[in-house]
Amino acid sequence: MLLSLSLKLFTREVRSGYLTSMLASLILAITIVSGISLFTDRLEQALNTETEEFLGGKLKFESNQNSIKAVIEDLELEETSHMEMVLFASVIFSDDEMQLSSVKAVDNYYPLIGELELKNSAGLFKVSSNPEPGTVWMDERLQNLLLLDYGDEIFLGDAKLIFTATIIYEPDRASGNFAFAPKTIMNMLDVESTNVIQPGSRVEYNYLFNGPDEEIVKIKEKLEKEKENGDDIETLSEDTSSLGRTVDRSENFFLLGGLIAVLLSACTIGIASQRFTRRHVGYVAILKTLGMTTFQIKALYFLLFLYTTLLTLAVGLSLGWLLQSNFINLMSSYFPTELPVPSIYPLFVTCLTALICQFGFIYPHILKLLSVSPMRVLKDDIAFNQETIPVFFIGAIAFLFLLYLYTNQLTLSLIIFLGVVGFSLAGIGLIYLLLGKSETGLGASSSLKLALSELRRRKLGNSFQIFAFTIAIGLSLITFSASKNLLGSWQGSIPDDSPNNFAINITDEDKNGMESFFKENQINPTPFFPVTNATIEREEEDQELIDRNFNITWIDQLPEQNEISDGAWFSDDVINGLSISESIAERYNLKIGDKVFLKVNEEIIGTYIQSVRRVNWDSFSPNFFVIGHPSLFKNVTSNYITSFYIPTERQQVAAELMREFRTVSVFSIEELIDQVKEIIGQVTKALNSILLLTCLSAIFLAFSALQDGFSVRKHQSAILRTLGASNSLIKSSALIEFALLGVISGTLGSLLAYGGIYFIETKVFETTANFYPEIWIMGPLIGLFVVSVLCFYLINGIIKQSPKELLMR
Amino acid sequence: MILEVNKLRKEVSSGDSELTILDDVSFSLEEGQSLAITGPSGSGKSTLLGLLAGLDTATSGEIYLDEVGLHKLDEEDRAILRKEKVGFVFQSFELLPSLTALENVMLPSELKSEDNPKENAEYFLNRVGLSEREHHYPNQLSGGEQQRVAIARAFACSAKILFADEPTGNLDPKNGQVISDLLFEVNSETDNALVIVTHDLELANRCDKRIDLKLGRIVE
Repeated sequence: MLLSLSLKLFTREVRSGYLTSMLASLILAITIVSGISLFTDRLEQALNTETEEFLGGKLKFESNQNSIKAVIEDLELEETSHMEMVLFASVIFSDDEMQLSSVKAVDNYYPLIGELELKNSAGLFKVSSNPEPGTVWMDERLQNLLLLDYGDEIFLGDAKLIFTATIIYEPDRASGNFAFAPKTIMNMLDVESTNVIQPGSRVEYNYLFNGPDEEIVKIKEKLEKEKENGDDIETLSEDTSSLGRTVDRSENFFLLGGLIAVLLSACTIGIASQRFTRRHVGYVAILKTLGMTTFQIKALYFLLFLYTTLLTLAVGLSLGWLLQSNFINLMSSYFPTELPVPSIYPLFVTCLTALICQFGFIYPHILKLLSVSPMRVLKDDIAFNQETIPVFFIGAIAFLFLLYLYTNQLTLSLIIFLGVVGFSLAGIGLIYLLLGKSETGLGASSSLKLALSELRRRKLGNSFQIFAFTIAIGLSLITFSASKNLLGSWQGSIPDDSPNNFAINITDEDKNGMESFFKENQINPTPFFPVTNATIEREEEDQELIDRNFNITWIDQLPEQNEISDGAWFSDDVINGLSISESIAERYNLKIGDKVFLKVNEEIIGTYIQSVRRVNWDSFSPNFFVIGHPSLFKNVTSNYITSFYIPTERQQVAAELMREFRTVSVFSIEELIDQVKEIIGQVTKALNSILLLTCLSAIFLAFSALQDGFSVRKHQSAILRTLGASNSLIKSSALIEFALLGVISGTLGSLLAYGGIYFIETKVFETTANFYPEIWIMGPLIGLFVVSVLCFYLINGIIKQSPKELLMR
Repeated sequence: MILEVNKLRKEVSSGDSELTILDDVSFSLEEGQSLAITGPSGSGKSTLLGLLAGLDTATSGEIYLDEVGLHKLDEEDRAILRKEKVGFVFQSFELLPSLTALENVMLPSELKSEDNPKENAEYFLNRVGLSEREHHYPNQLSGGEQQRVAIARAFACSAKILFADEPTGNLDPKNGQVISDLLFEVNSETDNALVIVTHDLELANRCDKRIDLKLGRIVE
C-alpha cells in the first residue's frame, strides 16, 4: 500500500511542477559535482602518469657523489624496478664542429617508465631501451649544430661513438641540472672509455625507482636516512613544473566552482523543501485522521525521499558524465594517450554530496511534518510547528560537512563557515536597520509607497530573500572573479614577449660578447645572473639540516616578478645577507636574522637571512631560491644565466648565437610555452562552463527565493485587486520593491564576494589579493537586473489570473 | 438602477468540452435595495457574484453597474470601477494577515488616495464594535471578529453596492446572526445596494429581492 501510494504521490508531485526547483537544483548540483570530480580524477591520474614519465619514475635520488650506490645495492630491489644514470656536461666533436652537450649515460633498465621516440633515416620509431654500447642518440638541435648524419662518428672525451638516432621525445625530461642543454644519450658501459669523469668533475648521479607505492615509501625512508648533505630526493607530489602548477590551480578552481554550485543548490533545496512541507501539512493531517501511524507516514515520506535521491542521482550522474566528456575532449590533445578510467572516488563524493543535501536540507523539513496534528482537518488554523531553529541548525551542520568534503581542511572549512554565518547575521541586522520601522497602513495609494511599506512590513521574509539573493550574487561574483584572476594571472605570466630561450654556462668572456650580440640583433635579454652551486648550513648544528644544493645568484637589484614578503632587500646600508624564497624559508624553518654558512667551492662564507621573497615561478625568467649580496661572492668564480625572447620568425638568430658562442648552452622553451598557452586556452573553456553552471545554480536559488515570496503575494494581490487596485499598481510596486531588494542584495553580494575573493586568492590560490572595482558595480547591477526580470515574470503570472480564481484557491 | 443584468451566460472549458455555469440570467436592482442569490451548491451563485462584481468576465450577456457596462470594460477599468463603487464581504473573510484590523480597513481608502484613511477606518471599526482591537492581526481575532473587520472594510470604501459571498457561512449561528444584523444595520445607514449569496434562508428572507439559481438558470 505504502509503496503504491508513495509512487503515486511522487509521480503526481513531479508532474504538478511543485518539485521542479528542488529536483532541478539537486540534479544541477549532482551534475556539477560528478562532472568536476570525474574530470579532475581522470586529469589527476593522467597527470600522475605524465609526471611519472617526466620524472622518469616514482622516486628520483639525485647526488653529486655516488656514495649512495652501496645503500641501494643493500636494498636488494628487483632489477627492473630501479635504474641508474649519470649526467655531465661535455664538449662533443664531430668531423667539422664542436658543441657543449648535456650527456646522459643510462644503464640497461632505461627507461623505467614510458618510451623514447627516435628518428633515423628510416623514419620515426619508438624504443624502450638504452642505446647500444658504442652508439649515441642526440637531440635535433645538437645534430644540426654538429652537422651530423646517421652513422657519423663523434668524439666524446677519449671515446669514439656512432650517432644512430635523433631524440624526438624522452620520458625523463626532468633530469637535474643538465636537463636543458642540447642532449646526448649514451650507454653507461661507454662512460669509462670517455675518461671524462675525473675526480672533481661536475657529475650528477641519478637513481630512479618504480614500483608499488608502499615499496616507494620504504625506499624513500631508507634513502632519507642515508642521504648526505646536497643529495636530493624527488617524488611525484613535488611537481613544480609550469604545467603542473597550471593544472593544479585550475583543479582548485574546479573544486571551488563545484563547492559554490553545491552550496547554492543546497540553499535552493532548503527553500523548496520548506514549500513542499507547507503544502503537505494538509496531506499529513488527512492521512493521520484516516488512521495512518507516524511510522507509516515516516516510511511514506522516506520513500518519496528515496525516489528523489535515485532520480536525481541517475539524471545528475548521466549529465555529469556528459559534462566531463566535454571537458576531456577539450583537453585530450594535451594528453598523448587516452585518459585513464575514473576511480570510484568521484562516485563516492557525488553520492555523499547528494545524501548530505538530502539529510541536511530536505529531511529536517519532512520530519517537521510528522508533528502535524490531525485536528488540522477540522481546524486549519491550528498552528503547524514552524520552529525553524533546529532546521537551520541541521542545515548549518550539513553546510559545514559539505565544506569539509570539498576542502578536506577542518580549519579552512570552519573559517568559511563562521565567515558566512557572521556575514549573514551582520547582513540581516543591517537590513533591519536599513528598512526601518513600518508606518500604519499599507501605503496602497502609490506604487512607491506600497513598495516601501511592503519592504518594511516583511522585514524577516525580506531578510531571508536578501540573504538568498546575496548568497547567489556573491558566490557567482566569487566564481567570476576567481576565473578572471586565474586567467589573468596565467595570461599575465606569459606575455607575448616572455623569454622563450635560456642561455646557460656563460663565461665572463662570453658575457660581453653576448651582450653585444643581443644589442646588434635588437634582443632584450633578462639580466645576466651569475650562478654557482652552493650548500647552506645553519650555524646552530642542533637545528634541522638543510639537505640540498642551491644554484645561487648574487645581484643588488630585486629581480622582476619577485616581491619581498619579509625583511628588506639589499640597500646601501645592507651589504650582506641572503634573500631566500618563501618555500625555502618554510621548508627549512629559516627566519630573518638566522645565521648560516655558505659553502661555495670549498670556501665557507658566514652570513645571515636578510629577506624572504615571494617568487612568481610561473614566469619564464630565471628564478632563484637563494640570492646573495654581491659582496659575499667577490672571490667566487661563476658562470652566468640569462633568458631572452626571439620571435618565431627570427629563430635563426638562436642558431647564430650558438655557433658564435659554442660553449654556451642555449635551449628553447618555445614548445613548453605554446603547450602551456594551449592548455590555458582549453582550461578557459572548461572554466567558463563551470562559471555558467554556477550562475545557473544562482538563478535557481534567486528564482526559488522569489517564488516562495510570491506565493504569499498571490493572495494579497487578489484581495487588493478585488478592492480595486489596478494591475499596474500591483506590478509597478512589486517591481520597485524587488528592484530595491536586488540592489541591496547586489551590494551585500559584492561585499561578500570581496571578502571571499580576498580569502580565496590569498589562501586557496596562494596569490596576491587583487582589487576588483568592477565588483561594486556588477553586484548591484546584476541584483537589479536578475531580480527585476524574475519578479516581472512571476508578477505577470499572478496578474494574468483573475482575482476570483486566486481567492477561490 | 444600480444593477442591470441581461441574458448573462458563462461557459468554462472542461477538457475538450464547454461547461455552462450560467445561462440566460437577467434581473435588475434599484439603489438601496438588497438582493439575495440562493441555490444549491454548484448552481452558479458564486460565479454570478464574481461576474456582477467585475472579478470575472461573462461569455455573453450584459451587466450594467451604476449604468456602466461592465461587459465592455477591460480588467484595468473594472478595477477602477470596483475601487470607486464596489465593496466586498467574503465567506472566508479575506483579510491580509500581515496587516492589523485597522490597516485592513484603511486599505480601500488608501487605494482611493483619500486624505484621512485612518480616521475613516477608525470610525467603521468603532461602528462594528472593534475599536479596542484595531491593532490586532487577523490571526489574533475570532472568526466573527474577522468578519466584522471585513464588513468595516466593505463600508469604509463608500461603495454604491456591496457584494457578500456567504458572509455567515463560516460562523456559528449566534455569530452569524450578529454579522447579518450588522450587515443590514450598517447598510441601512447608507444608500448602498446589497447583493448577498447565501444558503441561509433566514438571511435571504431579510432581503428586498431574491433569485434562486438551479443549474445556472434562475428558477421562478
